[in-house]
Amino acid sequence: MNLEWGKVVKSLNWTFIFNLVNFAILLYLLKRLLFKPALAYLDRRRELIASRMESARADEEKAAKLAAERTEVLKKAYEQSRQIVEKAHAQAEETIVAAKSEAKQDAERILDDARMQIEQERVQMKQELRRAYAEISVLGASRVLKREVKLKDHRRLLDELLAEIDEEALRIKQ
Amino acid sequence: MLQDAQNVVSGISGADIATAAKYLAAGFVMAIGSIGSAIGEGLVAAHALDGIARQPEMEGALMRTMVVGQAITESTGIYSLVVAIILLFVV
Amino acid sequence: MFEHLGEKLILHVTIGSFSLRFDLVAIIMSWVVIALLVVLALWLRRGLRQEIEEKPNRIQAMVDALIDLLKGQLTSNFASERLARELFSFISTLFLFVLLCNWISVIPYFQSPTQDLNVTFSLALLVFVMSQVFAFRMKGGRRYFKGFIEPYPFMLPLNIVGEIAKPVSHAFRLFGNIFGGAILLAVVSGELIPVVVPAALNAFFGLFIGAIQAFVFAMLAVAYINVAVES
Repeated sequence: MNLEWGKVVKSLNWTFIFNLVNFAILLYLLKRLLFKPALAYLDRRRELIASRMESARADEEKAAKLAAERTEVLKKAYEQSRQIVEKAHAQAEETIVAAKSEAKQDAERILDDARMQIEQERVQMKQELRRAYAEISVLGASRVLKREVKLKDHRRLLDELLAEIDEEALRIKQ
Repeated sequence: MLQDAQNVVSGISGADIATAAKYLAAGFVMAIGSIGSAIGEGLVAAHALDGIARQPEMEGALMRTMVVGQAITESTGIYSLVVAIILLFVV
Repeated sequence: MFEHLGEKLILHVTIGSFSLRFDLVAIIMSWVVIALLVVLALWLRRGLRQEIEEKPNRIQAMVDALIDLLKGQLTSNFASERLARELFSFISTLFLFVLLCNWISVIPYFQSPTQDLNVTFSLALLVFVMSQVFAFRMKGGRRYFKGFIEPYPFMLPLNIVGEIAKPVSHAFRLFGNIFGGAILLAVVSGELIPVVVPAALNAFFGLFIGAIQAFVFAMLAVAYINVAVES
Protein backbone atom coordinates (compact mmCIF):
# COMPACT_ATOMS: atom_id res chain seq x y z
CA MET A 1 0.00 0.00 0.00
CA ASN A 2 1.72 3.11 -1.18
CA LEU A 3 0.99 6.50 -2.73
CA GLU A 4 2.31 7.58 -6.11
CA TRP A 5 1.66 10.23 -8.74
CA GLY A 6 -0.21 9.19 -11.89
CA LYS A 7 -1.32 10.87 -15.09
CA VAL A 8 -4.77 12.42 -15.13
CA VAL A 9 -6.02 11.18 -18.48
CA LYS A 10 -4.18 7.91 -18.75
CA SER A 11 -5.17 6.13 -15.60
CA LEU A 12 -8.50 4.41 -15.73
CA ASN A 13 -8.48 2.26 -12.61
CA TRP A 14 -10.52 0.78 -9.82
CA THR A 15 -11.95 4.15 -8.92
CA PHE A 16 -14.34 3.38 -11.72
CA ILE A 17 -15.86 0.38 -9.97
CA PHE A 18 -15.62 2.09 -6.63
CA ASN A 19 -17.58 5.07 -7.89
CA LEU A 20 -20.26 2.82 -9.37
CA VAL A 21 -20.72 1.19 -5.99
CA ASN A 22 -20.75 4.58 -4.32
CA PHE A 23 -23.35 5.83 -6.71
CA ALA A 24 -25.52 2.75 -6.23
CA ILE A 25 -25.42 3.23 -2.45
CA LEU A 26 -26.20 6.93 -2.84
CA LEU A 27 -29.08 6.12 -5.17
CA TYR A 28 -30.50 3.66 -2.67
CA LEU A 29 -30.10 6.05 0.26
CA LEU A 30 -31.57 9.05 -1.51
CA LYS A 31 -34.46 7.01 -2.83
CA ARG A 32 -35.14 5.63 0.61
CA LEU A 33 -34.57 8.83 2.58
CA LEU A 34 -35.64 11.60 0.27
CA PHE A 35 -37.49 10.78 -2.90
CA LYS A 36 -39.96 8.21 -1.63
CA PRO A 37 -41.12 10.25 1.40
CA ALA A 38 -41.07 13.44 -0.64
CA LEU A 39 -43.19 11.99 -3.44
CA ALA A 40 -45.55 10.41 -0.93
CA TYR A 41 -45.78 13.72 0.88
CA LEU A 42 -46.48 15.58 -2.34
CA ASP A 43 -49.15 13.04 -3.27
CA ARG A 44 -50.77 13.42 0.13
CA ARG A 45 -50.67 17.16 -0.15
CA ARG A 46 -52.13 17.08 -3.66
CA GLU A 47 -54.95 14.91 -2.39
CA LEU A 48 -55.52 17.26 0.52
CA ILE A 49 -55.63 20.25 -1.79
CA ALA A 50 -57.97 18.43 -4.15
CA SER A 51 -60.33 17.57 -1.31
CA ARG A 52 -60.15 21.14 -0.03
CA MET A 53 -60.95 22.39 -3.49
CA GLU A 54 -63.83 19.98 -3.72
CA SER A 55 -65.29 21.08 -0.41
CA ALA A 56 -64.74 24.72 -1.31
CA ARG A 57 -66.57 24.18 -4.57
CA ALA A 58 -69.43 22.47 -2.74
CA ASP A 59 -69.58 25.36 -0.27
CA GLU A 60 -69.62 27.81 -3.11
CA GLU A 61 -72.44 25.95 -4.79
CA LYS A 62 -74.38 25.91 -1.56
CA ALA A 63 -73.81 29.60 -1.07
CA ALA A 64 -74.93 30.31 -4.62
CA LYS A 65 -78.06 28.26 -4.05
CA LEU A 66 -78.76 30.08 -0.80
CA ALA A 67 -78.26 33.41 -2.47
CA ALA A 68 -80.63 32.44 -5.26
CA GLU A 69 -83.19 31.36 -2.71
CA ARG A 70 -82.84 34.57 -0.82
CA THR A 71 -83.27 36.71 -3.88
CA GLU A 72 -86.30 34.63 -4.78
CA VAL A 73 -87.81 35.23 -1.34
CA LEU A 74 -86.95 38.89 -1.49
CA LYS A 75 -88.57 39.18 -4.89
CA LYS A 76 -91.69 37.50 -3.63
CA ALA A 77 -91.84 39.73 -0.57
CA TYR A 78 -91.36 42.80 -2.69
CA GLU A 79 -94.09 41.67 -5.03
CA GLN A 80 -96.40 41.10 -2.10
CA SER A 81 -95.69 44.44 -0.53
CA ARG A 82 -96.28 46.12 -3.87
CA GLN A 83 -99.61 44.38 -4.16
CA ILE A 84 -100.55 45.43 -0.66
CA VAL A 85 -99.65 49.04 -1.32
CA GLU A 86 -101.57 49.01 -4.58
CA LYS A 87 -104.58 47.56 -2.86
CA ALA A 88 -104.40 50.21 -0.17
CA HIS A 89 -104.09 52.89 -2.80
CA ALA A 90 -107.13 51.59 -4.62
CA GLN A 91 -109.09 51.38 -1.40
CA ALA A 92 -108.18 54.90 -0.41
CA GLU A 93 -109.17 56.13 -3.86
CA GLU A 94 -112.49 54.37 -3.59
CA THR A 95 -113.13 55.74 -0.15
CA ILE A 96 -112.33 59.22 -1.26
CA VAL A 97 -114.60 58.97 -4.27
CA ALA A 98 -117.39 57.55 -2.15
CA ALA A 99 -116.98 60.22 0.50
CA LYS A 100 -116.94 62.93 -2.12
CA SER A 101 -120.11 61.72 -3.77
CA GLU A 102 -121.81 61.30 -0.40
CA ALA A 103 -120.85 64.77 0.62
CA LYS A 104 -122.16 66.13 -2.64
CA GLN A 105 -125.42 64.31 -2.17
CA ASP A 106 -125.68 65.55 1.40
CA ALA A 107 -125.05 69.08 0.35
CA GLU A 108 -127.66 68.87 -2.38
CA ARG A 109 -130.14 67.44 0.02
CA ILE A 110 -129.49 70.13 2.55
CA LEU A 111 -129.83 72.74 -0.16
CA ASP A 112 -133.07 71.22 -1.35
CA ASP A 113 -134.39 71.10 2.20
CA ALA A 114 -133.50 74.69 2.71
CA ARG A 115 -135.18 75.71 -0.53
CA MET A 116 -138.25 73.74 0.30
CA GLN A 117 -138.39 75.33 3.76
CA ILE A 118 -138.06 78.76 2.24
CA GLU A 119 -140.84 78.00 -0.20
CA GLN A 120 -143.05 76.76 2.59
CA GLU A 121 -142.33 79.76 4.70
CA ARG A 122 -143.11 82.05 1.83
CA VAL A 123 -146.41 80.29 1.16
CA GLN A 124 -147.24 80.48 4.84
CA MET A 125 -146.34 84.09 4.92
CA LYS A 126 -148.49 84.82 1.90
CA GLN A 127 -151.36 83.07 3.59
CA GLU A 128 -150.76 85.01 6.76
CA LEU A 129 -150.58 88.17 4.75
CA ARG A 130 -153.84 87.37 3.06
CA ARG A 131 -155.40 86.70 6.40
CA ALA A 132 -153.97 89.93 7.67
CA TYR A 133 -155.41 91.78 4.64
CA ALA A 134 -158.76 90.29 5.37
CA GLU A 135 -158.57 91.20 9.01
CA ILE A 136 -157.35 94.64 8.22
CA SER A 137 -160.11 95.02 5.64
CA VAL A 138 -162.66 93.79 8.12
CA LEU A 139 -161.25 96.02 10.77
CA GLY A 140 -161.23 98.91 8.42
CA ALA A 141 -164.82 98.21 7.38
CA SER A 142 -165.98 97.91 10.95
CA ARG A 143 -164.35 101.18 11.77
CA VAL A 144 -166.00 102.68 8.81
CA LEU A 145 -169.28 101.28 9.76
CA LYS A 146 -169.17 102.02 13.43
CA ARG A 147 -168.24 105.64 13.13
CA GLU A 148 -169.69 108.35 11.15
CA VAL A 149 -166.73 109.69 9.43
CA LYS A 150 -166.51 112.14 6.63
CA LEU A 151 -165.24 111.35 3.32
CA LYS A 152 -162.27 113.23 4.22
CA ASP A 153 -161.81 110.98 7.24
CA HIS A 154 -162.55 107.94 5.16
CA ARG A 155 -160.12 109.04 2.74
CA ARG A 156 -157.55 109.45 5.49
CA LEU A 157 -158.38 106.09 7.03
CA LEU A 158 -158.21 104.40 3.74
CA ASP A 159 -154.97 106.06 2.97
CA GLU A 160 -153.65 104.96 6.28
CA LEU A 161 -154.78 101.43 5.65
CA LEU A 162 -153.32 101.35 2.28
CA ALA A 163 -150.13 102.73 3.55
CA GLU A 164 -150.13 100.11 6.22
CA ILE A 165 -150.75 97.35 3.71
CA ASP A 166 -148.13 98.73 1.43
CA GLU A 167 -145.71 98.92 4.23
CA GLU A 168 -146.52 95.40 5.21
CA ALA A 169 -146.30 94.22 1.63
CA LEU A 170 -143.01 95.95 1.21
CA ARG A 171 -141.69 94.41 4.32
CA ILE A 172 -142.78 91.00 3.18
CA LYS A 173 -141.36 91.48 -0.27
CA GLN A 174 -138.06 92.43 1.05
CA MET B 1 30.52 33.78 -32.04
CA LEU B 2 30.17 30.99 -34.48
CA GLN B 3 31.33 28.71 -31.76
CA ASP B 4 28.60 30.04 -29.50
CA ALA B 5 25.95 29.41 -32.12
CA GLN B 6 27.26 25.92 -32.66
CA ASN B 7 27.17 25.29 -28.95
CA VAL B 8 23.58 26.45 -28.79
CA VAL B 9 22.53 24.29 -31.73
CA SER B 10 24.35 21.26 -30.50
CA GLY B 11 22.79 21.79 -27.04
CA ILE B 12 19.33 21.13 -28.48
CA SER B 13 18.49 17.51 -28.10
CA GLY B 14 15.67 15.52 -29.68
CA ALA B 15 13.78 15.60 -26.41
CA ASP B 16 13.86 19.39 -26.45
CA ILE B 17 12.38 19.47 -29.92
CA ALA B 18 9.71 17.00 -28.88
CA THR B 19 8.82 19.16 -25.89
CA ALA B 20 8.63 22.26 -28.06
CA ALA B 21 6.45 20.42 -30.56
CA LYS B 22 4.22 19.22 -27.73
CA TYR B 23 3.56 22.71 -26.42
CA LEU B 24 3.11 24.11 -29.92
CA ALA B 25 0.69 21.33 -30.81
CA ALA B 26 -1.31 21.80 -27.60
CA GLY B 27 -1.62 25.51 -28.34
CA PHE B 28 -2.71 24.88 -31.91
CA VAL B 29 -5.19 22.23 -30.86
CA MET B 30 -6.91 24.61 -28.50
CA ALA B 31 -6.73 27.54 -30.89
CA ILE B 32 -8.08 25.75 -33.94
CA GLY B 33 -10.26 23.23 -32.17
CA SER B 34 -12.22 25.81 -30.25
CA ILE B 35 -13.08 27.83 -33.37
CA GLY B 36 -15.68 25.37 -34.55
CA SER B 37 -17.40 24.87 -31.25
CA ALA B 38 -17.35 28.60 -30.55
CA ILE B 39 -19.03 29.39 -33.87
CA GLY B 40 -21.48 26.57 -33.33
CA GLU B 41 -22.44 27.72 -29.84
CA GLY B 42 -22.81 31.26 -31.09
CA LEU B 43 -25.18 30.08 -33.81
CA VAL B 44 -27.21 28.11 -31.30
CA ALA B 45 -27.47 31.12 -28.99
CA ALA B 46 -28.33 33.44 -31.89
CA HIS B 47 -31.16 31.23 -33.10
CA ALA B 48 -32.43 30.69 -29.59
CA LEU B 49 -32.47 34.47 -29.17
CA ASP B 50 -34.36 34.76 -32.46
CA GLY B 51 -36.90 32.31 -31.18
CA ILE B 52 -37.26 34.08 -27.85
CA ALA B 53 -37.69 37.43 -29.61
CA ARG B 54 -40.41 35.94 -31.77
CA GLN B 55 -42.14 34.03 -28.98
CA PRO B 56 -41.15 35.34 -25.55
CA GLU B 57 -43.58 32.97 -23.83
CA MET B 58 -41.45 30.01 -25.03
CA GLU B 59 -38.36 31.32 -23.26
CA GLY B 60 -38.11 28.52 -20.69
CA ALA B 61 -38.24 25.66 -23.18
CA LEU B 62 -35.95 27.47 -25.63
CA MET B 63 -33.38 28.19 -22.92
CA ARG B 64 -33.34 24.56 -21.85
CA THR B 65 -32.98 23.27 -25.38
CA MET B 66 -30.34 25.91 -26.10
CA VAL B 67 -28.22 24.88 -23.12
CA VAL B 68 -28.37 21.21 -24.09
CA GLY B 69 -27.67 22.04 -27.72
CA GLN B 70 -24.70 24.12 -26.74
CA ALA B 71 -23.43 21.34 -24.51
CA ILE B 72 -23.52 18.94 -27.44
CA THR B 73 -21.91 21.49 -29.71
CA GLU B 74 -19.25 22.00 -27.11
CA SER B 75 -18.23 18.33 -27.47
CA THR B 76 -15.75 19.11 -30.23
CA GLY B 77 -14.19 21.86 -28.17
CA ILE B 78 -13.95 19.52 -25.21
CA TYR B 79 -12.34 16.85 -27.41
CA SER B 80 -9.68 19.32 -28.44
CA LEU B 81 -9.20 20.28 -24.78
CA VAL B 82 -8.73 16.63 -23.88
CA VAL B 83 -6.26 16.19 -26.71
CA ALA B 84 -4.40 19.28 -25.54
CA ILE B 85 -4.30 17.92 -22.01
CA ILE B 86 -3.02 14.60 -23.29
CA LEU B 87 -0.35 16.41 -25.30
CA LEU B 88 0.71 18.52 -22.35
CA PHE B 89 0.60 16.06 -19.52
CA VAL B 90 0.66 12.53 -20.89
CA VAL B 91 2.75 12.41 -24.05
CA MET C 1 5.74 25.09 -11.30
CA PHE C 2 2.85 23.09 -12.68
CA GLU C 3 4.42 19.66 -12.59
CA HIS C 4 1.52 18.16 -10.68
CA LEU C 5 -1.19 19.88 -12.69
CA GLY C 6 -1.74 16.92 -14.99
CA GLU C 7 -1.14 14.33 -12.31
CA LYS C 8 -3.07 12.91 -9.44
CA LEU C 9 -2.40 10.93 -6.29
CA ILE C 10 -2.93 7.24 -6.76
CA LEU C 11 -3.30 4.81 -3.91
CA HIS C 12 -1.68 1.53 -4.80
CA VAL C 13 -3.07 -1.40 -2.85
CA THR C 14 -1.69 -4.87 -3.25
CA ILE C 15 -3.80 -7.74 -1.99
CA GLY C 16 -2.01 -11.00 -2.65
CA SER C 17 -1.34 -11.04 -6.35
CA PHE C 18 -3.98 -8.37 -7.06
CA SER C 19 -2.76 -4.85 -7.56
CA LEU C 20 -5.52 -2.28 -7.21
CA ARG C 21 -5.12 1.43 -7.94
CA PHE C 22 -7.45 4.07 -6.54
CA ASP C 23 -7.63 7.81 -7.07
CA LEU C 24 -7.40 8.83 -3.45
CA VAL C 25 -8.66 12.41 -3.71
CA ALA C 26 -11.60 11.60 -5.95
CA ILE C 27 -12.76 8.80 -3.68
CA ILE C 28 -12.49 10.87 -0.52
CA MET C 29 -14.24 13.79 -2.18
CA SER C 30 -17.05 11.62 -3.47
CA TRP C 31 -17.50 10.29 0.04
CA VAL C 32 -17.76 13.84 1.28
CA VAL C 33 -20.35 14.58 -1.38
CA ILE C 34 -22.35 11.47 -0.52
CA ALA C 35 -22.22 12.34 3.16
CA LEU C 36 -23.45 15.86 2.39
CA LEU C 37 -26.30 14.55 0.28
CA VAL C 38 -27.35 12.04 2.92
CA VAL C 39 -27.27 14.73 5.60
CA LEU C 40 -29.35 16.95 3.32
CA ALA C 41 -31.81 14.12 2.74
CA LEU C 42 -32.10 13.41 6.46
CA TRP C 43 -32.62 17.09 7.20
CA LEU C 44 -35.33 17.38 4.55
CA ARG C 45 -36.96 14.19 5.77
CA ARG C 46 -37.28 15.56 9.28
CA GLY C 47 -39.49 18.30 7.93
CA LEU C 48 -41.61 15.81 6.06
CA ARG C 49 -42.33 13.79 9.18
CA GLN C 50 -44.76 16.40 10.46
CA GLU C 51 -48.40 16.14 9.60
CA ILE C 52 -49.67 18.24 6.77
CA GLU C 53 -51.03 21.50 8.07
CA GLU C 54 -52.82 24.41 6.54
CA LYS C 55 -49.58 25.90 5.34
CA PRO C 56 -46.50 23.80 4.47
CA ASN C 57 -43.54 24.58 6.73
CA ARG C 58 -40.29 25.87 5.31
CA ILE C 59 -38.70 22.47 4.73
CA GLN C 60 -41.85 21.12 3.12
CA ALA C 61 -41.95 24.10 0.78
CA MET C 62 -38.29 23.51 -0.04
CA VAL C 63 -38.88 19.84 -0.81
CA ASP C 64 -41.84 20.86 -2.91
CA ALA C 65 -39.71 23.32 -4.88
CA LEU C 66 -36.85 20.81 -5.29
CA ILE C 67 -39.07 17.99 -6.51
CA ASP C 68 -40.91 20.43 -8.76
CA LEU C 69 -37.61 21.59 -10.25
CA LEU C 70 -36.34 18.04 -10.83
CA LYS C 71 -39.63 16.93 -12.32
CA GLY C 72 -40.27 20.03 -14.41
CA GLN C 73 -36.77 20.51 -15.81
CA LEU C 74 -35.49 16.94 -16.10
CA THR C 75 -37.89 14.03 -16.04
CA SER C 76 -40.71 15.88 -17.78
CA ASN C 77 -38.63 15.50 -20.93
CA PHE C 78 -39.07 11.75 -20.95
CA ALA C 79 -41.18 10.36 -23.77
CA SER C 80 -43.58 8.49 -21.54
CA GLU C 81 -45.04 9.08 -18.11
CA ARG C 82 -44.04 5.59 -17.02
CA LEU C 83 -40.38 6.16 -17.90
CA ALA C 84 -40.43 9.47 -16.03
CA ARG C 85 -41.84 7.83 -12.91
CA GLU C 86 -39.46 4.88 -13.01
CA LEU C 87 -36.32 6.88 -13.62
CA PHE C 88 -37.12 9.90 -11.46
CA SER C 89 -34.91 8.78 -8.57
CA PHE C 90 -32.05 7.81 -10.86
CA ILE C 91 -31.97 11.05 -12.83
CA SER C 92 -32.48 13.15 -9.70
CA THR C 93 -29.69 11.39 -7.85
CA LEU C 94 -27.44 11.75 -10.87
CA PHE C 95 -28.16 15.46 -11.04
CA LEU C 96 -27.73 16.12 -7.33
CA PHE C 97 -24.54 14.04 -7.15
CA VAL C 98 -22.90 15.73 -10.12
CA LEU C 99 -24.09 19.15 -8.97
CA LEU C 100 -22.57 18.75 -5.52
CA CYS C 101 -19.41 17.20 -6.98
CA ASN C 102 -18.99 20.29 -9.15
CA TRP C 103 -19.84 22.73 -6.40
CA ILE C 104 -17.59 21.25 -3.75
CA SER C 105 -14.48 22.67 -5.45
CA VAL C 106 -15.61 26.11 -4.26
CA ILE C 107 -14.43 25.16 -0.78
CA PRO C 108 -10.65 25.73 -0.51
CA TYR C 109 -8.49 22.58 -0.64
CA PHE C 110 -11.47 20.57 -1.92
CA GLN C 111 -11.40 19.05 -5.36
CA SER C 112 -14.31 18.09 -7.57
CA PRO C 113 -14.55 14.32 -7.90
CA THR C 114 -15.85 15.03 -11.39
CA GLN C 115 -12.44 16.27 -12.45
CA ASP C 116 -11.40 12.64 -12.29
CA LEU C 117 -12.06 10.76 -15.51
CA ASN C 118 -12.90 7.54 -13.65
CA VAL C 119 -15.85 9.15 -11.91
CA THR C 120 -17.36 10.75 -14.99
CA PHE C 121 -16.76 7.63 -17.05
CA SER C 122 -18.45 5.38 -14.52
CA LEU C 123 -21.49 7.67 -14.45
CA ALA C 124 -21.64 7.95 -18.24
CA LEU C 125 -21.29 4.21 -18.66
CA LEU C 126 -24.00 3.67 -16.08
CA VAL C 127 -26.31 5.91 -18.12
CA PHE C 128 -25.32 4.03 -21.27
CA VAL C 129 -26.06 0.64 -19.74
CA MET C 130 -29.28 2.01 -18.35
CA SER C 131 -30.38 3.29 -21.75
CA GLN C 132 -29.55 -0.05 -23.45
CA VAL C 133 -31.34 -2.02 -20.75
CA PHE C 134 -34.43 0.14 -21.00
CA ALA C 135 -34.36 0.02 -24.80
CA PHE C 136 -34.12 -3.78 -24.65
CA ARG C 137 -36.92 -4.01 -22.12
CA MET C 138 -39.26 -1.62 -23.84
CA LYS C 139 -38.70 -2.61 -27.44
CA GLY C 140 -38.14 -6.32 -27.02
CA GLY C 141 -35.10 -8.26 -28.28
CA ARG C 142 -35.97 -8.37 -31.96
CA ARG C 143 -36.75 -4.72 -32.36
CA TYR C 144 -33.75 -3.80 -30.21
CA PHE C 145 -31.27 -5.61 -32.43
CA LYS C 146 -33.08 -4.53 -35.56
CA GLY C 147 -32.46 -0.94 -34.50
CA PHE C 148 -28.73 -1.48 -35.14
CA ILE C 149 -29.11 -2.51 -38.80
CA GLU C 150 -31.37 0.35 -39.73
CA PRO C 151 -31.67 1.88 -42.25
CA TYR C 152 -29.27 -0.58 -44.01
CA PRO C 153 -27.39 -3.63 -42.66
CA PHE C 154 -24.02 -2.22 -43.68
CA MET C 155 -24.62 0.67 -41.28
CA LEU C 156 -24.13 -1.70 -38.33
CA PRO C 157 -20.56 -0.62 -37.46
CA LEU C 158 -21.53 3.01 -37.81
CA ASN C 159 -24.49 2.56 -35.48
CA ILE C 160 -22.35 0.75 -32.92
CA VAL C 161 -19.69 3.44 -33.05
CA GLY C 162 -22.41 6.07 -32.72
CA GLU C 163 -23.78 4.35 -29.63
CA ILE C 164 -20.33 4.04 -28.06
CA ALA C 165 -19.50 7.66 -28.85
CA LYS C 166 -22.36 8.78 -26.67
CA PRO C 167 -20.97 7.72 -23.27
CA VAL C 168 -17.47 8.76 -24.33
CA SER C 169 -18.55 12.29 -25.21
CA HIS C 170 -20.84 12.31 -22.17
CA ALA C 171 -17.96 11.50 -19.85
CA PHE C 172 -15.38 13.71 -21.55
CA ARG C 173 -17.73 16.71 -21.61
CA LEU C 174 -18.13 16.76 -17.85
CA PHE C 175 -14.51 15.89 -17.19
CA GLY C 176 -13.19 18.45 -19.69
CA ASN C 177 -15.31 21.28 -18.35
CA ILE C 178 -14.52 20.70 -14.71
CA PHE C 179 -10.87 19.79 -15.21
CA GLY C 180 -10.34 22.71 -17.60
CA GLY C 181 -11.84 25.06 -15.05
CA ALA C 182 -9.66 23.60 -12.31
CA ILE C 183 -6.50 23.96 -14.42
CA LEU C 184 -7.35 27.52 -15.37
CA LEU C 185 -7.98 28.31 -11.73
CA ALA C 186 -4.73 26.68 -10.64
CA VAL C 187 -2.72 28.57 -13.27
CA VAL C 188 -4.34 31.95 -12.53
CA SER C 189 -4.13 31.68 -8.76
CA GLY C 190 -0.70 30.05 -8.74
CA GLU C 191 1.13 32.23 -11.21
CA LEU C 192 -0.74 35.14 -12.77
CA ILE C 193 -3.01 37.03 -10.37
CA PRO C 194 -3.22 35.46 -6.93
CA VAL C 195 -5.79 37.89 -5.50
CA VAL C 196 -9.48 38.68 -6.14
CA VAL C 197 -9.58 37.21 -9.64
CA PRO C 198 -9.29 33.56 -8.50
CA ALA C 199 -12.32 34.10 -6.24
CA ALA C 200 -14.43 35.38 -9.13
CA LEU C 201 -13.15 32.60 -11.40
CA ASN C 202 -13.87 30.06 -8.69
CA ALA C 203 -17.43 31.31 -8.38
CA PHE C 204 -17.84 31.24 -12.15
CA PHE C 205 -16.33 27.83 -12.81
CA GLY C 206 -17.41 26.22 -9.57
CA LEU C 207 -20.95 27.49 -9.26
CA PHE C 208 -22.14 28.62 -12.68
CA ILE C 209 -20.39 26.19 -15.01
CA GLY C 210 -20.80 23.47 -12.39
CA ALA C 211 -24.56 23.95 -12.24
CA ILE C 212 -24.90 24.12 -16.02
CA GLN C 213 -22.77 21.05 -16.55
CA ALA C 214 -24.67 19.08 -13.92
CA PHE C 215 -27.93 20.06 -15.59
CA VAL C 216 -26.55 19.18 -19.01
CA PHE C 217 -25.25 15.85 -17.75
CA ALA C 218 -28.62 14.84 -16.33
CA MET C 219 -30.44 16.27 -19.32
CA LEU C 220 -28.27 14.32 -21.75
CA ALA C 221 -28.85 11.17 -19.70
CA VAL C 222 -32.58 11.78 -20.18
CA ALA C 223 -32.08 12.44 -23.89
CA TYR C 224 -29.91 9.31 -24.43
CA ILE C 225 -32.39 7.06 -22.66
CA ASN C 226 -35.21 8.69 -24.58
CA VAL C 227 -33.53 8.20 -27.94
CA ALA C 228 -32.57 4.61 -27.15
CA VAL C 229 -36.10 3.75 -26.09
CA GLU C 230 -37.86 5.57 -28.89
CA SER C 231 -35.96 4.99 -32.13
